[in-house]
Amino acid sequence: MTKEVSAKTDLLQGTLDLMVLKTLAALGPLHGYGVARRIEQLSESVLELNEGTVYTALLRLQQQGWIGAEWGVSENNRRAKFYSITRSGRKQLAKETQDWERIAGVIGRVLQLEGQK
Amino acid sequence: MSWLSCGESKLRYLLARKDANEEFDEELRDHLRMLAERFERQGMAPREAWNAARRQFGNPVSLKETRTQMQTFAWLETLKRDVRYGWRSLRRNPVLAGAAMVTLALGIAANSTIFSMVSRFVLYAAPVARPAMLMALHTTHDGDTCCNHFTWPLYMDVREQARSFSGVAAYYELVPASVGGLGEPERVWGQAATANFFDVAQLTMTLGRGFSADEERAAVVVIGERLWRRRFGADRKILGRAILLSGQPFTVVGVAPPGFRGVELILNPEFWIPLRQLDRLQPNSTTFESRDNHWLAVIGRLKDGVTEAQAAAELRLIAGRVARAYPATDKGGGFRFERAGSLPPRDAATVELFLAALSAVVLLVLGIACANVANLLLAQAAGRQREMALRLALGARRGQLLRQLLTESVLLGLGGGGLGVLLTLGATRGLTAFHIPAPVPLDTTVSVDWRVLLFTLALSLGTGLLFGIAPALAATRPGVSNALKGEEVLGRTGRWWSLRNFLVVSQIAMSLILLCATGLFLRSMQNAASMDTGLRSQGVLTMSIDPRLHGYTAARTTQILAELRARVAALPGVAAVACTDVLPLSGGHRSDGFQAEGRPGPVQAIPSVEMFMASPGYFKTLGIPLIAGRDFGDESATGPKVAVVDEAFAHLLFPHENPVGQRVSSGGVIFEIIGLTRHIKSRTLGEEVRPVLFRSLVQSIGSEPSMMGYSIIARATGDPAALENAVRREIHAVDPTLAVFNAETMEEHLRSALFLPRLAGTLFGVIGAVGLLLAAIGLYGVMSYSISRRTHEIGIRMALGARSGGVQRLVVRQGMALTAVAMALGLSAAWAVAHLVASFLYGVPPHDPVTFIAVPLFLGAVALVACWLPARRAASIDPLAALRYE
Repeated sequence: MTKEVSAKTDLLQGTLDLMVLKTLAALGPLHGYGVARRIEQLSESVLELNEGTVYTALLRLQQQGWIGAEWGVSENNRRAKFYSITRSGRKQLAKETQDWERIAGVIGRVLQLEGQK
Repeated sequence: MSWLSCGESKLRYLLARKDANEEFDEELRDHLRMLAERFERQGMAPREAWNAARRQFGNPVSLKETRTQMQTFAWLETLKRDVRYGWRSLRRNPVLAGAAMVTLALGIAANSTIFSMVSRFVLYAAPVARPAMLMALHTTHDGDTCCNHFTWPLYMDVREQARSFSGVAAYYELVPASVGGLGEPERVWGQAATANFFDVAQLTMTLGRGFSADEERAAVVVIGERLWRRRFGADRKILGRAILLSGQPFTVVGVAPPGFRGVELILNPEFWIPLRQLDRLQPNSTTFESRDNHWLAVIGRLKDGVTEAQAAAELRLIAGRVARAYPATDKGGGFRFERAGSLPPRDAATVELFLAALSAVVLLVLGIACANVANLLLAQAAGRQREMALRLALGARRGQLLRQLLTESVLLGLGGGGLGVLLTLGATRGLTAFHIPAPVPLDTTVSVDWRVLLFTLALSLGTGLLFGIAPALAATRPGVSNALKGEEVLGRTGRWWSLRNFLVVSQIAMSLILLCATGLFLRSMQNAASMDTGLRSQGVLTMSIDPRLHGYTAARTTQILAELRARVAALPGVAAVACTDVLPLSGGHRSDGFQAEGRPGPVQAIPSVEMFMASPGYFKTLGIPLIAGRDFGDESATGPKVAVVDEAFAHLLFPHENPVGQRVSSGGVIFEIIGLTRHIKSRTLGEEVRPVLFRSLVQSIGSEPSMMGYSIIARATGDPAALENAVRREIHAVDPTLAVFNAETMEEHLRSALFLPRLAGTLFGVIGAVGLLLAAIGLYGVMSYSISRRTHEIGIRMALGARSGGVQRLVVRQGMALTAVAMALGLSAAWAVAHLVASFLYGVPPHDPVTFIAVPLFLGAVALVACWLPARRAASIDPLAALRYE
């Protein structure tokens, strides 16, 4: 793996965590497959998703205590693990959203500056 | 997120790892399947869909690896990093770490040692399969809550009627026998049991088997593992061979498992014969018909699924039935039982109270130790504020720093625990050396077993967290970040100063309580040791034989004792020699009721008189002064019985007369009193006054032989111990097969009689000294630290003209103020708890004025020195240097 690609994955990782968190916040409890579908839908396949990495994100978030998991029954009557956002997860989401917006704003302004030139 | 909850989820994960792994696999499989189904719905062929799903999903194996790594290794890694870092920072300050560990080791060792006694005497379970189901049964009688042995018929009633037990066995607790084999003959003790004894106990034998059902009357024996090694060289071919017990052949059918010494707590039997064979070793000791003679211990194994309450209910029914059938003997009778190997119900409360008192005391020591270490760490925290401030500023979370600091203190705790185990090993060896005065074999070995190790580990972790938490909180206090700007945050604010003072005050108060207890027990030991026993113990050697075990008749026994007396008397260096059955102060022997004979008026009686047998020369040899009358002489074995009594006896029966010439009787046997002696202590040093009567040895051997053998006592002109081999040689010159036991000087004998006060005195002495040392170090440390922080201030004071004496007074006053507060608290607490130990004290009131005056004075003096040393240093501060210091 070259350095460039690795840097890109790191960026993706953080982003993916945020996306999963936001998805769970918006849609309520979902199983892994559902999360993957939702993200696929939203990203309009722009994000070439290695779908399994959703689980890496889910595990990471669980470890941080930002989401919880519970076994339940899926819409087609199968046993499935449902993930839901916790209270500290919501706090974290708010914080990261703010951070993200701030950075995006800064970067956006910087890029605009470049464009005006 | 808190690292605690995160750690917890990981821990739970580790425990449930297997399930969780399977669940995760299932989750991934489902995901793949749903993905494949979707592709199929979009029109792919099943196989193609499956491949597409796998492509889109990525590699599930690497996903699982990631997961494993995240959940276990992250945790372990963090721990490893913390431990490594903690180790480094401890190494950076080896003196502090060493002092802390030694301090903790003392505190932990004290607790582990006492706990090893708890483990041995309270948590002990009989060494049998499923000990929780094996019960020791006792009989009770109206009003008397506890406890007697069983009669044979009563045992059979229970054995036949009780459905709650899968088996009920009876045994005779201790019977002596001389055993041959390797080396000089030896007296050993065994038990005589019903044939089902080993089935009820459920043992895994080392060799062979227990008794079979048809061996109730067979001449067979099961020997203990230690006896097998000691006397028979662990010979595996011993099965089926006959061995001689007191000259009688018994066929060995089995060797008991190692560590099995019956099912009782401290008895130490080494062989087992069928109950019906008991008379061959000890004639006339079985009474199978009598409903009066309570001579059997009984154990029963609960059936599976039967609760103790159900068994108790059934036994109540049986007791009622038996009482109706045999109202003359069994009316008002009942049963009780507890797990086999429990403390004897009669003594349980006393022993538990004693151990509880000790546990409380050692907890105080640990408290002092913890306070000390906490103080050390607080001082260190003040020194580390820059480091902490820097790390906080660099983005470390407070939780992380706390975790780091607590790891360090837990490391200290574990180090202390490790050292503590070593100390405990030594201490338990010392405890085992205390010999309980009893004529029967007891195993009171106290050792560091797995329970003690587990306890020590828990204690180490617990104390590590306990003494670490306050300093850790202090060190990571948010205000600490000011330290970066060079402010001495911890040294300046008043708040943590008061924590430090609080620690010192509690330390001194605790050690005052501790020292008061120590003082009381030392006074009690001193009292007991100087107690007048009525005998002169210096220069006396004693040694015992039991001719009965060698098949001697009464006449032959009398003859051999007389011959031995003559032979020993002829030895050089022997001033006097005598024979007796059992020595005074052996913990209790034979007693009986006596009444005055041939007197008008109401019968005067003493319910319980201690009886000893004495040969001519007995009083001279033991140094018991004869006040009136004469010593025993050449009484004939069948002549009218004579006796010598002590003052206590005479005072009770003949308060205003000369007892010599009076006649007394016991159970129809009449004695003429021929002499009067000073009072002697008969059973234990702490006993109330018990009247004593000495019988003529030759007149007693025939009618009432001693069950414990006979002792030869010799008064030496020089060192009695030097006589031992010569006396032993004389015994073996008379009969080389005689087993010699209890060879000791009278002073050694009295030392074991001092068992309880000496045990308590020694334990408390050591514990008190440790506590005092720790508290003194703590006070010294705090005062020194305070002065090092106030160098600047003291410098200014001195520059402004304060005298060195004034500075000393300032510092000492501050330290002594703390001491005074602590003393007031500690003294009132000690006063309140003193009565708890009252029952263990010999002739010392619980609020003994000597103790309660001397201890505070002593502690005050120690505190004064601990304050004065740093004060002197403060006074020698050079004001110029101090002012330049910052």
